[in-house]
Amino acid sequence: MSPASDRPGPLESAPPLEVDGLAVAYGGAPPILENINFTIGAGEIFGILGGSGSGKSSLLRHLIGLVPPRSGRISLFGRDIWAEGGRRLNECRRLFGMMYQSGALFGSLTLLENVALPLREFTRLSPGSVLAAARLKLALVGLSGFEHHRPAHISGGMRKRAAIARAMALEPGLIFLDEPSAGLDPITSAGLDRLIVTLARNLGIAFGMVTHELGSIMSIIDRAIILDRASRGIVAEGSPAELARRTEPPLVAAFFNRRPE
Amino acid sequence: MSPGPPPARAGDSAALVLTVKEGGPETVAFLAGPLNVNTEAEAWRPLDEFLSRRPAGTPRLTLDLTGLTALDLNGSAQIIAALEAAEKSGRQAAAAGLPPRFETIFRLAREAMTKPLAPAPPRVHFLEEVGRAAAELVRDFRALTFFLGELTAEFFRLAARPWRFNWRSVAEAAERSGVNAVPIVALVSFLVGLIIAFQAAMITKLFGAEIYVATLVGVSVVRELGPLIAAIVLAGRSGSAFSAELGAMRVAEEIDALTTMGFSPVRELALPRVLAQMLTAPGVSLIACFVGMFGGSLVLLGLGYTAVTYWSMAVEKVTLYSFLIGFFKAFVFGFTVGAVGCQRGLAAGDGPDAVGRATTSGVVTNIIVIAVLDSIFAVGFYVAGI
Repeated sequence: MSPASDRPGPLESAPPLEVDGLAVAYGGAPPILENINFTIGAGEIFGILGGSGSGKSSLLRHLIGLVPPRSGRISLFGRDIWAEGGRRLNECRRLFGMMYQSGALFGSLTLLENVALPLREFTRLSPGSVLAAARLKLALVGLSGFEHHRPAHISGGMRKRAAIARAMALEPGLIFLDEPSAGLDPITSAGLDRLIVTLARNLGIAFGMVTHELGSIMSIIDRAIILDRASRGIVAEGSPAELARRTEPPLVAAFFNRRPE
Repeated sequence: MSPGPPPARAGDSAALVLTVKEGGPETVAFLAGPLNVNTEAEAWRPLDEFLSRRPAGTPRLTLDLTGLTALDLNGSAQIIAALEAAEKSGRQAAAAGLPPRFETIFRLAREAMTKPLAPAPPRVHFLEEVGRAAAELVRDFRALTFFLGELTAEFFRLAARPWRFNWRSVAEAAERSGVNAVPIVALVSFLVGLIIAFQAAMITKLFGAEIYVATLVGVSVVRELGPLIAAIVLAGRSGSAFSAELGAMRVAEEIDALTTMGFSPVRELALPRVLAQMLTAPGVSLIACFVGMFGGSLVLLGLGYTAVTYWSMAVEKVTLYSFLIGFFKAFVFGFTVGAVGCQRGLAAGDGPDAVGRATTSGVVTNIIVIAVLDSIFAVGFYVAGI
């Protein structure tokens, strides 16, 4: 177990995420994306948009430290996550939470145990405090009463909410979301959107979300980038309302008007 | 009596100081410093100890939060849980003096934590567990019986129109599950032959009868151990692979897709694998026999006997019947390994652990069925005098 005192604190006034000149590539293959630059501010809901195969998921895998970048710098709260050859990577990983598309909850644990797991492993809170904290996180995402259920016994929308609760366990200032609305009905999707906005506006948590859902994009995202496979980079950046008004480049207009290329 | 607050520690980097001041009916717990995810259990202990004592009457507990320098959701949850615990123990409890900058986060937590923690599900009684396990065993047995019936029907359909069957899938399965298993079967058989010969030689040496070790190894490996080793290794390697493969297909709804398209999953998926195992298991068993005998020969060579002496003694008591019995057993074990492995995979449930459970169940069932069948064969052949 890593003691809580080893947990790095965010540097004062540094943005939750800074990406500088990032090249996204796997192994020796040609880069999927090049020269990616953007920043996510505190409490901001930031969208990573683009068509299928544009490199959104690959970019996300780089941002969460699963794949080392070919070149460039990824800084979380002012800390370069690959500094010192990645030796501080695990500590940096505790600065953010991650919600995977499927939820990726541990099937052998109850929801309460799933949320309590990082608290037990990475803090020195008492068992009673861990229980209270995990219970609160589940209550915040509307899962009171389901604490002892296992992931297999709840719906897809509930699994995603439980995954957000787990991502919030260590009180990160930044949470990444991979397709949070995918496969959800409009009512559940709207509920999830409202939860994200509540957490961002009230707690100042920044969100970096990969999504295709135009409804979510237009209603909750503050700022977004659009990735393009052909140009291997960012083709547009701005608020969704601003991007939706653009006619150039054609990809942006096609994306927001649901037009085939 | 209203005790004064303890000296506060400013700054988030300092540790929380929690002081409980008891004074008659009113107790005040002063919290000074940061209360967040980094708070250590030790700092919270005074309040836990106070709350664990049974109060007299209905005393009041006030959590004085004036000195808090940092508060997150985890800290808010700790405060709310402490207030709940105090009220549950018959105290009147309240929080006071929360700095205005923490009001939003605390309100959010308070509004969310209105419902108590759901009670944990009751533990299942031992007898109920036994009953459930027995019922599951019956269900498994029924499912296996139905599957064997379906498989038999498919065998007849295959015999009636063999040209309509995809024999290429049998060849691919035979390579994956039979031919590729030869190295591991050979290694295990070699070591078993060597060990049996070595142990037997230690005993027979006392009577000067080491040469009969060759006969012992020959008979036991050809008739008993060769097919058994091949079957157990195939169950662990290939049967489990069948369960995992088909279980993953079940979880990914590929089996449902086959069914809705009008294909029979048993014919398309199970039959080629079972056939592949039935056809390759005797060959694998034969290799296990020769390699096992070769392993035994090394011990006798080490004791000064020649290879010719060893092999002539080893095959002396190995009759054609012994070979045929070994072949027959390997053929039946091959069918068992394939059928049980496929049935467990096709019957896999939903959820992320379904594949793991199907694989484990396939291997365990296979080993039990192989052991039971081997015992039946041993008794049956003895009674039949062969």
